[in-house]
Amino acid sequence: MADYTEMWKSLGLDLESHDALLAGLGKAYTDIFLSQKNRPEGMKYFDFVMSEVHGLRIKELVDAKAKGKKIIGSYCVFVPEELVLAVDGVAVGLCAGAEFNFEGAETLLPRNTCSLIKSAFGFKLGHVCPYLESCDVVVGENTCDGKKKAYEILGPLVKDLYIMDLPQTKTPKSKELLKEEYRKFIGKLESVSGKKITVESLKKGIEAVNAKRKAVKRLAALRAADPAPISGLDSLLINQVFFHDDPARFTESVNKLCDELEVRIKNNVGVAPKGTTRLVISGCPMAVPNWKLPYLVETSNAVIVGEESCVGERGTRWLTEIKGNTVDELLDAITERYFNIDCAIFTPNPSRVEYVKEMTKKLHADGVIHYSLQFCQPYIMESGPVEKELEKSGIPTLRLETDYSQEDAGQLKTRIEAFGERLKKR
Amino acid sequence: MRSAGIDIGSRTIKIAVIEDGKLVYFFKTVTSHNPLELARDLLADIEFDRIVATGYGRHLVKGHLDCPVISEITAFVLGSRYFDVTCSSILDIGGQDTKAISLNSNGDLCKFEMNDRCAAGTGRFLEVMATVLGFTLEEFSAAALSAKKAEKINNMCTVFAESEVVSLISNGADRNEVALGIHKAIVSRSAGLLKKVDSDGKVFFAGGVALNRCVRILLEKELNRPVFVPADPQVVGAVGAALSARD
Amino acid sequence: MAWFDSAILNTSAGIKAVREQGKKFVGFYCVFAPQELIIAAGAIPVTLCSTKEEPIADGEKYLPRNFCPLIKSSYGFAITGKCAFFNNSDFIIGETTCDGKKKMFELMADFKPTVVLEVPQSAKGELQKKYWNSEVERCKAEIEKRLGVTLSDDNIREAIRDLNEQRSLMRELADLNKTDPAPLSGTDLLKVMWARNFTFDHLSFNRELRALISSLKIMASKGEGALLNGAPRIIVTGVPTGIGSEKVIRIIEEAGGSVVYIENCAGMKQYLFDVDIHGSPLEAISEKYLATPCSCMSPNTGRLELLAKLAKEFRADGVVDIIWTGCHTYNVESHILGKYLAKHGNVPLLQIETDYSHGDVGQIRTRIDAFLEMVAKK
Repeated sequence: MADYTEMWKSLGLDLESHDALLAGLGKAYTDIFLSQKNRPEGMKYFDFVMSEVHGLRIKELVDAKAKGKKIIGSYCVFVPEELVLAVDGVAVGLCAGAEFNFEGAETLLPRNTCSLIKSAFGFKLGHVCPYLESCDVVVGENTCDGKKKAYEILGPLVKDLYIMDLPQTKTPKSKELLKEEYRKFIGKLESVSGKKITVESLKKGIEAVNAKRKAVKRLAALRAADPAPISGLDSLLINQVFFHDDPARFTESVNKLCDELEVRIKNNVGVAPKGTTRLVISGCPMAVPNWKLPYLVETSNAVIVGEESCVGERGTRWLTEIKGNTVDELLDAITERYFNIDCAIFTPNPSRVEYVKEMTKKLHADGVIHYSLQFCQPYIMESGPVEKELEKSGIPTLRLETDYSQEDAGQLKTRIEAFGERLKKR
Repeated sequence: MRSAGIDIGSRTIKIAVIEDGKLVYFFKTVTSHNPLELARDLLADIEFDRIVATGYGRHLVKGHLDCPVISEITAFVLGSRYFDVTCSSILDIGGQDTKAISLNSNGDLCKFEMNDRCAAGTGRFLEVMATVLGFTLEEFSAAALSAKKAEKINNMCTVFAESEVVSLISNGADRNEVALGIHKAIVSRSAGLLKKVDSDGKVFFAGGVALNRCVRILLEKELNRPVFVPADPQVVGAVGAALSARD
Repeated sequence: MAWFDSAILNTSAGIKAVREQGKKFVGFYCVFAPQELIIAAGAIPVTLCSTKEEPIADGEKYLPRNFCPLIKSSYGFAITGKCAFFNNSDFIIGETTCDGKKKMFELMADFKPTVVLEVPQSAKGELQKKYWNSEVERCKAEIEKRLGVTLSDDNIREAIRDLNEQRSLMRELADLNKTDPAPLSGTDLLKVMWARNFTFDHLSFNRELRALISSLKIMASKGEGALLNGAPRIIVTGVPTGIGSEKVIRIIEEAGGSVVYIENCAGMKQYLFDVDIHGSPLEAISEKYLATPCSCMSPNTGRLELLAKLAKEFRADGVVDIIWTGCHTYNVESHILGKYLAKHGNVPLLQIETDYSHGDVGQIRTRIDAFLEMVAKK
C-alpha cells in the first residue's frame, strides 16, 4: 500500500489509532483468509481490495468528491443504492464489525447495546474510519430500537445525518409509506448533489446495482456444489466488499470468479473434501471485519454454503424490475423490490424461515446455524420460533448468540463441534 | 467538639474522629458477621459528641446509634476535601465496589457513577487474580511493574478472567506480563467510569486499591492527569462522615 | 385513600361484575391503544402490563433473559393463564412500539386473538399522521368486527367525553402536588392510577377521585403534606412502574424524597392531553394518542420539553429516570434527557437501571441517598 498519510490526515483520522486498527486488520486477514487452502485464483482481487481498503478505494472516493460526486453512507440494506447512483453519487455501507473503542461508545450508549451499533460509534468517536469521514450524508434508518435511538445521539457527531423511517409491517399501506420515504430521500439526494434524477439516470442506476446482485446470486447458486468450490469465509468477504467497492469493477471480478468456480465444479475441485458438513448461517448481518463465526465454523470441519443475512442473500436476492417510463413508476419498482426484505424488525415476518428452508434444500445443507448478536432483540426473538420450525421440517438447527469479542471463542467452538457431531450421526 | 464518622463497608469498618477540624483518631478493622455488634464494641471505647454513619451498613446502625446517615458518595466528597481541595474528580476502588465522582468548581457533588453489582474492576478482582498467580497483593503490584509488556486480558468478569489467567499461564505466558495485563484491565475500566461522569482535572484516588502502586502509575498514564492519593486512602469515607457531623 | 387501596385488591369481584352484565374485556398494553373505541363499543378496556416478579420465571422459558422485566412478566402471565384479565379478554390490542413488545405479540397471537396497530416511528410529518389515522380506523373496524357492533360518531364522542373527564380529574389531582409540601405521596399517586386501571365502574371511580381531591385540597390549605416541608421534590419518569414494581418510588420516599409527579405510562403520561371534542372523532383520537411522548418515538422531543416544563411548574429539585434492564429506548434516551435538563433549567437527573427483583434495593438506596443529598444542597 502506498503512503496515504496525507490523505488520512485530510480526512481527520486519528493516525495513531488508525494505524493500530489497520495493523490488527492486516494480521487478522492473514491468519484467517490467507491460511485457507486451495482458494480460487479469483480471490486475489478481493485480497487486493482488502489490502487497499483504506487506501486506494478511499482515494477513489476522494477523487470522486473532487469531481463533485457525493458520498452517501448508510447502515441498512433498505437504503436504495439505485437512487444514490442516479444522482451520480457513491453509495457506501458503513456497518462496522470490529470491537474498537467500545469504551468510547459506552460513554454515550448503554453497555447492553449490540456490538454493531457500538462499533459504529467506536469508529466515529475514534476517528478511524475513512469511509465514515468521507461521507457527505449519512443515512440513518429507523429500524430497530437500538439504531433508532442511537441515531439521535449520532446526529450531532456527523456532517449531515438523514433519517429514513421504515415501516414495521408488510401491508399495502406500509408499502406506500416506504415509497413516500424513498421519494423524500430522492429530494434529499437531489438537493445535496445538485443533480436531478431522470428516467435515464435511474435506469442506469438500477442496471448497475442489478448487475452486482446478479453476480453475487450467481456465486450463491454455485455454492450448491459438493465439494464446495469456495469457502464461506471467502463468500462472506465478497458479500462484505459488495458494500464499498466500485460497482462495475466488483461485478466484473465476481463474474470472473464465478467462471473459475464453474470450471472447478466440472472438475470436482473444492476447498474441503466432498461430504464435509455443509451449513447455512441465518440471522444478523456480519459486517466487515467480523469474520469470527465463519472462521470458527470452517476450522471445525464444516463449510458454510450460504448466508441468509443482510450481508448475504437477504440483501441481494431480489432484483429491481425495470418497468415503467417515469421516475415515479421506476420508484414503484424499486419500492416493490426493497419491500421484500424480510428483516426481523418486521412483524410478522413469516417469509424468512420459509426462505431458510428453501436455501437449505437448494444448497444441500446439512443444518442451519442461527446467528444473533447479543442484545439484538428482533433476531433473538425470532431465533426460537425459527429453530422450532426448522427442526420440525427436519433441518437441524443450532442457535448462537455472541458479540464481537474473542472471549467466548472457546464456548462457541464447543457448541459448533457438538453440532457437527450431531450432523455426522445422521 | 469531637465528631465521629463510622464507615461500615461490606468488608471493613472504619472509624474517624475529627476535633477542631483535625483528624485525631482513626481505626479500621474487618467487618464481622455482626457489624452492628462490632460497631457498638468499637465505639464504646471512643469519645465523641456526635456521630454520623455511612457505607453499606449505615441504615443497619442508624437506629441503634441514633445517628444521622449520609451516602458514601457524599462522605467521599466531604472526606476528599479534607485532604486536598484541588481535585475535581474522585475515584474510589473498594473491595467490592467502585465509584467515580465529579465535583463542580465549588467542590460540591456534580455527577456520580457506581459499580456495585459485580466484582469486575474492584479490589476483589485483583485479589482473586493475585491468588491465581501465586502472589501476595504487594508482590502482585511489583510483579506487574516489572513487566515490559502486558499480556492482554479479555475477560472482565472475575470468574471468567480467572479461567483465562489459568489458561494463559498453562500455555507459558509470563506471570509478570499477565499481572500487568490485569492491572491495565482494572485501570481501563476505572477510566471508563470516570469518563461517564465527565470528569477532568486532578483525580483524588481513594479506597483500598489506591494502595496499589502499579494501579496508581497506570491510572496517571491512562488519564494523562495528576492523581492524588492520601496517606491513608481507606479513611476518606469515615472522615467525610465525621465532617458532616459538625454541620 | 382506603377506597383506592381496596379497589386494587377487589379485582376478581370486578371481573365477575362485568361478566354478569354481559360486557366484554379488551386487553391492551400501551397507552397508544385508543381506549375510547373500546368503551364506545360497550366493552371494558383493561391494561395488561404486568408488574409482578413471579411470572418472570415462566416468561423466561420463552423469551430471552435480557428482555425487560415488564415484557417477561406480562408474557409469563399470558402464557400460563395465571392472569384473570388476560384470560377474560376477548382479544388484545397491541402496538409496534418497542422491539420486545412487537415480537412478543407475534408469539401471543398463537394463543390469543391479537390486533397489532402499527405506530409510526416518529410523530412529526404529515405522512406519519396520516398513517396513524388509518391505523386508528383499522382499529375501529377490528373492534366492530370482533364485538359485533357498529361504532357511531356519537357513541365515540360520548366515550371521548367520559375519558376526558377522567383525564381532567387526574390532572387536577396531580396539580395539587404543586404546593409545598406536596399533599399526595408518590406511592399514593401511583395507587390511584393503578386503581383506575382496574376499576371498571368508572362513575364510582370518578366520584371517589373527586372526594380524594377535595380532602387533599383541605390538607394542602392547612400546609399538611405527605412528607415534611422542605423534603427534596422529585419527578419520576422513564419506564412504566405500577403497583408491584414501585420499588424505586418507595425507596425515594423512604429516603426522605417527595415524589411530586410521575410522568411515566403508569402515571400521568396518558392524562396529559385531552381528545379534541370537535371535528372528526377518529382524527381527534388519532392526534391525541400519537402525541404520547414514549421513547419508542424518534425523536421524542415531546418528552424532553415536557419534563423541563414540569420541573419548573412543580419546582422539582431533581428527576429520577427509571429504566428497566433491557429497555433500549428509554436507556439511550436517558442520556439525551440528562443533557437536555442540564441545559434547560439545570435540573439534575439520576438514572436508575433495575428490574423487578429485590436484590438491588441497597444499591438503589445508596444512589438515591446520594442524589437527595446532592440536590438538597443546591
